[in-house]
Amino acid sequence: MFERLEKKLAALGAAGWELSEETVTGWEFYFIRHALDQNRAVETRNYTVKLYADVEGGFLGSASGQISPTASEEEIDKALADILFQAGLVKNPAYTLTDAPVPQEEGEEVCVEKIAEDFLRAMDSVHETDTEDVNSYEIFVKSVTRRFKNSNGVSYTRRFPSSLMEVVVNARREGHEIELYRLYPSGTCDADRLRSDVEDVMRVGKDRLHAVPTPVLKDIPVLFPNENAIEIYDYFRDHMSAGAKVRRVSTWESGKPIAEDMTGDVITMKAVAKLPNSSHSYDVDEEGSEIRDRYLIKDGVAQNFWGSRQMSQYLGLEGSSLVYNVVVDGGKQSAADLRTGDYLEVIEFSDFQVDSMAGDIAGEIRLAYWHHDGECTPVTGGSVSGSMMDAMRTMRFSSETVQYDTHVIPRETVLYGLRITGVE
Amino acid sequence: MKAPFSSYLQDLAPVMKQIVARLSESYDYVSVLSTDSVGFQVSMSQRSKNVSRSNMTTERGNVVRVCKNGQYSEYAFNEVDPSDPEKTLARLQAALSAQQALLGRTGTRGYETGLLADEPLELFVEKETQELPEKTDMAALVAELSALSDRGMKEIPGALDCPVRGVSTHISKMFITKNRFLRQSYVYTEGSVAAFAPSPQGELKFVYQGVSGLGGPEILKGLADKLSELPKTMEEMLGSEHIVPGEYEIITDPAVTGLIAHEAFGHGVEMDMFVKGRALGAEYIDKRVGSDLVTMHEGALCADSVTAFAFDDEGTPAGDVIEIDHGILRTGICDALAALRLGVKPTGNGKRENYAHKVYTRMTNTVVDSGENTVEEMIESVKDGYLLRGMESGMEDPKHWGIQCIIARGYEIKDGKLTGKVVSPVVMTGYVPDLLGGITMASTDRGVEGNGACGKGHKEWVKVADGGPYLKTKARLG
Repeated sequence: MFERLEKKLAALGAAGWELSEETVTGWEFYFIRHALDQNRAVETRNYTVKLYADVEGGFLGSASGQISPTASEEEIDKALADILFQAGLVKNPAYTLTDAPVPQEEGEEVCVEKIAEDFLRAMDSVHETDTEDVNSYEIFVKSVTRRFKNSNGVSYTRRFPSSLMEVVVNARREGHEIELYRLYPSGTCDADRLRSDVEDVMRVGKDRLHAVPTPVLKDIPVLFPNENAIEIYDYFRDHMSAGAKVRRVSTWESGKPIAEDMTGDVITMKAVAKLPNSSHSYDVDEEGSEIRDRYLIKDGVAQNFWGSRQMSQYLGLEGSSLVYNVVVDGGKQSAADLRTGDYLEVIEFSDFQVDSMAGDIAGEIRLAYWHHDGECTPVTGGSVSGSMMDAMRTMRFSSETVQYDTHVIPRETVLYGLRITGVE
Repeated sequence: MKAPFSSYLQDLAPVMKQIVARLSESYDYVSVLSTDSVGFQVSMSQRSKNVSRSNMTTERGNVVRVCKNGQYSEYAFNEVDPSDPEKTLARLQAALSAQQALLGRTGTRGYETGLLADEPLELFVEKETQELPEKTDMAALVAELSALSDRGMKEIPGALDCPVRGVSTHISKMFITKNRFLRQSYVYTEGSVAAFAPSPQGELKFVYQGVSGLGGPEILKGLADKLSELPKTMEEMLGSEHIVPGEYEIITDPAVTGLIAHEAFGHGVEMDMFVKGRALGAEYIDKRVGSDLVTMHEGALCADSVTAFAFDDEGTPAGDVIEIDHGILRTGICDALAALRLGVKPTGNGKRENYAHKVYTRMTNTVVDSGENTVEEMIESVKDGYLLRGMESGMEDPKHWGIQCIIARGYEIKDGKLTGKVVSPVVMTGYVPDLLGGITMASTDRGVEGNGACGKGHKEWVKVADGGPYLKTKARLG
């Protein structure tokens, strides 16, 4: 089908085209406690076509669509004609498709059976007690093969694993039961890390049973000790996207500090193509551009914007691509040094969000540790809110770093000046 | 006109019936869901314009569900050779056998479940629409949405950009078992106009309005009126302040009411969570969870919205369930497998993100009934509080009945009058029974909206709609 589509695309007379095929073999297992609720196998193949058209006035139009592998000849021809017509309706300033050759390493074969077995055995070996245990979990393992070609002859095939594990744990005391939720995306199964994380979650679950309502707290730092902090760092990553810059949402400029009067730790963030066990560890993006390791921000100074071919060219960027993995350098102080004085350490939010454009910070507290006067009190309820525009000037982060799927970030991050709504 | 059922699925039906018959020789239960949904997504802004024939709900594929000895398994695929169903059967059996071998090797035990009911039922539903997305005049639509974006830039103060979006899908689904043959076709459409602008303090402010409903791209005509509301809203947002955290009297607009209904007792009574012991609602059936003013419906039949299907993804006919009746929790909503495990009837709420995803209990239309007050009366009754407008996001907590809603803006009310002060954004949190128990007034009107998507936890995105009247209660705002 790929070759058939390629021939049709070449014959259309479009200003350009991109064709991709994604083949997925997925195994899924759903558990209630440790009993199998359902097993599923997924075998799909999808084709995506993007066509470009020269539009009067020097514009370049584009339109896209998926083509089903069961589409008839007539359906394919109609779909391609429609897409080409629609491309001609779109007036975007002109840009070019990539023409730079990319490495031709396809990647190793992915054995979903082996990865699934690792997940099943890892979850079976999690240490549970009478009062802390696993409520339910879902295992998703995929082998993905992506094949790509464009009208400039750039082509590649990449094969990679992509996994996801959802775990819900319970802790109970005297008839009262609570739950904690975790979602672990990864490449394959890191059994030791998974087991240890789930057991840690059970430990903090126990503390939630003892939690008291969050008091009204003013002028107290908030410490983020886990994957919730990804949201904070994505604010920086997204502000360095060419799309944000073109849309004038980001006012950051290459070669200039991202903010004035920064009194906290200054951020250094690097985009990397490959990151061990990331679910997106590959060196070519969806548009055929090679992903090169490069600084997005160095010592608090904006370096390289990143983005799609279209947005990158609007900014005049060379060698840019989409970014999937980022590595943030650690800060000046150790985690232990950061954990001094009074502070609120939030372990579990309902849904922690940092608006990557506006910078608004918001999250309801499900479990936090209120460190005060040398004591540590588990608290629950209330919310944290604020703005990254202010918080980024004074934020601090630990010298130690940790990886969460596509992100390597400081193990501890501290934001100052957030508003904390108590329950009392 | 009627939205015509997919001719592709019509042709595929005999093949799928053959597959069901063959699998029924070796499995205790077999069903197939086949989908063929076409549509478009158009996004027009000042910086970038995109047109696609695909969107979140366009799909073509199949999923087979089988049960053997109380164990349910599924095989999802999108390549099928109608002339050789045996090839599909061989692939299915190879995949599921390999999984069974692994489960045997790891000593995995099953969660034994009875057999799904398979009473005879035939259904062929083609719902009304004025237009079809696949026959839309795209040149006219692109021009129209592009012109709206241009108009927004002129009218909305300080706008950096004005993205306008239109999405429409013509859904066709077919469900087959030994005794059931169900087919449906309907069209839903949604669209939005938005703008963002920097405040004098340099903060980026965002405003948004949407249209949605059961029907074709003609629904997008409503965007022009919605755009007219944005200049004033942006002015208010640009002058907005941060709220002083605390507990306040609040009045929620229909969008915020819908968000509360969705997060509080939408997710809270999804009964697949009852099976796992993950929802406190299971212990509150026939108990009070809200004030007398709270009556809440759930079901695809409740409103002509983006999720007004005739049958769900497990072949259960659409329903209309009264979840909360004058403050008393009566029942939850249920997919077929969860219903079987709980010994109750399914409610038509078994939904998949698409054919390749598992079924979960999911919401359709979650709607609070109207009351007897005017909005003016409600505002006059507030001593110190906020009128909350516009939803941004929410998160459920069925186990503990906490609630998190991020709301676009709040209008201050002092001594029964709007003061003109606006706060944004607003994080509303609280304990669900307190929030619903505190409802003292509800307006006579109501609205239902279906823009965006709903996840289960942090994945499995499906279309839902929710809404209700203006409500008055108390909540913590931050």
